[in-house]
Amino acid sequence: MTIHASYGEAFERFAAALPAAERAARAAAFDTFAQRGLPDDGIERWHYTNLQPFAAQPVQLAPAAAGTPDLSAWRLEDCDEHVWINGRALNAAAAPAPLPSLDAHAGLAGLHRAFATPGLQLTVPRDVRLDRPLHVLSVSDAREAGEMFHLAHRIRLERGAQALLIVQNLGLPGATRFSTQSLSIELAEGAQLTLVRVQDEARGTTHWLQTTAEVGHDARLDVVNVDLPYDESGDPIPGEATAAKASGGTLIRSDWRVKLAAPGAHAELSGLFGADGRVHLDNQYEIDHAAPHGTSRQWFRGLGFGPSRAILNGRVVVQRGAQKTDSEQRIANLMLAKGAEIDAKPELEIYADDVKCAHGASCGQLDDAAVFYLRSRGVPEAQARALLIYSFINDVLARVPHVALRLRLARRITARLGAGLDLSEATLSGAAA
Amino acid sequence: MSQLLQIENLHAEVAGKEILKGLDLVVNAGEVHAIMGPNGAGKSTLSKVLAGAEDYVVTAGTIRYQGRDLAELSAEQRAAHGIFMGFQYPVEIPGVSNMMFLKAALNAQRKERGEPELDAGDFLAWVRHRVKQMKMDPAMLSRGVNQGFSGGEKKRNEILQMLVLEPRLMVLDETDSGLDIDALKIVADGINAMRSPERATILVTHYQRLLDHVQPDAVHVLAAGRIVKSGGPDLARELEEKGYGWLQQAA
Repeated sequence: MTIHASYGEAFERFAAALPAAERAARAAAFDTFAQRGLPDDGIERWHYTNLQPFAAQPVQLAPAAAGTPDLSAWRLEDCDEHVWINGRALNAAAAPAPLPSLDAHAGLAGLHRAFATPGLQLTVPRDVRLDRPLHVLSVSDAREAGEMFHLAHRIRLERGAQALLIVQNLGLPGATRFSTQSLSIELAEGAQLTLVRVQDEARGTTHWLQTTAEVGHDARLDVVNVDLPYDESGDPIPGEATAAKASGGTLIRSDWRVKLAAPGAHAELSGLFGADGRVHLDNQYEIDHAAPHGTSRQWFRGLGFGPSRAILNGRVVVQRGAQKTDSEQRIANLMLAKGAEIDAKPELEIYADDVKCAHGASCGQLDDAAVFYLRSRGVPEAQARALLIYSFINDVLARVPHVALRLRLARRITARLGAGLDLSEATLSGAAA
Repeated sequence: MSQLLQIENLHAEVAGKEILKGLDLVVNAGEVHAIMGPNGAGKSTLSKVLAGAEDYVVTAGTIRYQGRDLAELSAEQRAAHGIFMGFQYPVEIPGVSNMMFLKAALNAQRKERGEPELDAGDFLAWVRHRVKQMKMDPAMLSRGVNQGFSGGEKKRNEILQMLVLEPRLMVLDETDSGLDIDALKIVADGINAMRSPERATILVTHYQRLLDHVQPDAVHVLAAGRIVKSGGPDLARELEEKGYGWLQQAA
C-alpha cells in the first residue's frame, strides 16, 4: 500500500510532541496505517466509498486556528458548551485518553489512533443526571489544502446515570480537508444516553466517523443522526456518480456500531440524511444483539435532492443466545429530483431462534393527492411540496429532544427547500399551542 | 342577484374516461345548491374539476367564476379567489401541525390577493375563535393535519379550514358522510355561519339529513354526468322516498 510521504512527515512532527510513554502505541498504529492504507471499494463494507485516493494525496497537520471564530450562530443557550477547533480543545487542555478500538477498517483505524487528539472525556457518575445538555462543537477551519486532524471522544455513563449529548461537526468554509472522529460510548446498568449528532461539514471535506457503543443491562441509548450536508455552491454536477472522484467534493462516511451487551439493553437509532450537489454520504449502522431480551429500533429517512449519492446500510445481528430479541428497522426514502441516488440496504443476521425482527425499506415520491390537498387551500405548489417533505422528515426530527435545536434544524431544512415556510416553536407539531 | 358560477356543457374525464357529459349549472351569490345523485354519477368529479385537480381534464364546455374563465387559474389561485373544496377524504399530513398548515394557507392566499400577511398574534386569535366555534379542542392546533383524526374529526376540520379561509364559493363533497348527529349539527352550523349574500355553497350529498340543517335554495340530481332534474327543497325529500331509479330511466 502506498501512502503519500507527507503522512510520515506529519506523524514524525506529531509524535515528537507526545509524551514518551505514548509514542510506541502511536507508532504501532501508524505502521498499521502504512501497511494497510485506506479502504477501497473492493471491500464489501466500502463498496460505495473509496478512501484510497486520499492516502495518495498530500496532507499536513491542521495548525491551531489563528483566532477564535464567531460561533454565536451555532450556540445553544441552555447547553454546556465544549469547543474543539482543528482537533484542539478551546476551553481547556483535554486530558490524555486511551486510544479507541475501531473495527471499520484496520488502516483507517490505524490512522485515527496514530494521530488522535483527546476530545470530550466524559464520565457521568452513578445515578447522576446531567441537568444541562452537553454541546460538543468540533470546528474545522482549514486554510490550506489537505489539512487534517483526528479527534477521539470517550463517554462513560456509570450505573443509572443520564445525559443528553449533542455532537456537532461544523466546517468553516475554506480549503479541502480530511478529518476522522471517534465516539466511544459505554453505558453501565440502567444508564441512559441520548446522542444527537449534527453533521455540518464544509464543502471539500472528507470525514470519517466511527461511533462504538456498548449498552449495558437495562441501559438505553438513543441516537439521532442528522446528516444533511448541503453544497452551498449549489451547482449539481450531472452524471457525476461519486463526489469522491471530484476534487472539492464532500465525502462523509459514518460507521455506527452498537452492541447490546447485557440483558434488557435498548437502542434506538434514527437518522435523517440527504445529499445534494457534490456530496457523497455513506452511513453504516450495525446493532449487535449480544444478550437476551434486547430491544432495538431504527428509523431512517432519506432525501434524494439532486445528483448525489447517499448510502444507508442497516445491519442487525442477533447472536446465538440473544433470545427474546425484539428489533425493528424502517427505512424510507423520498426521491425528489432526477439523478439522485440512494442505496439503502437492510441486513439481518440471526443466530437465535426465539426472536422478533422486522424490517422494511421503501423508496417513493411525494403523494400527488396530498400536494393537491394543500394547493386546494391556496398553498403554492413549491410550498406544498416543502410542507410534505417536512412531514416526511419530521418523524426523525421530532426525536431531537432539544427544542431549540430541533427548530433550528427544521428551519435550515425548510430554507433549503426554498419555499419560505414559516416555522416557529408554536407551529412545530407537538409543541404547546 | 349576481351569478357567481356558470357551468356550460361541461365535459370532463379522468384517466381517459369521460365522467361529466354536458353538465350545466348556474349558482347565484347568496344561494345554497344541493347536488345529489347515485354513485358514479360524477358528483366528486365536479367538485375536483371546480377545485382544479390536474388529473381531471376538461375536454369541452366552460366554467365561469365571478365572470372569469376558471381554466386560467391554478388550484392555488382558485383558492385565493375564494373557491374552497371540502374533501370527501381529507388527507393526513403527519408532523405538519394544523397551525402551520392554516398559517401557510391563509398567508399564501392573502399574498396572492395582494393583502398583507397576518402577524402571529392576530392569526392565533383568528384561528382560536373558529376552533371554539367548531367545538374543537384547541390542542388540535399543534397536532398534525388530520393525523389520527376520526372520520368525523376530519370533516369538522374541513369546516374549520373553511371558516378560517373565508371562501366565496364552497364546494363540499360529502362533508356529511361519517358524521354522528352531534357532529352533523356542528358542521351544519359552520356552513350556515358562512351563508351570506356574497357567498354560495354547493353541497354534494347522498342524504336528506344534512339538508334538514342547511336549507338549500335548489336541489339538482346528477346522473350519468349531467344534471337530469332540478327543483326546490321538496325534490330532496322526494329522492329520499323514491330513490334515483325513476330519474335514471328518464335520463
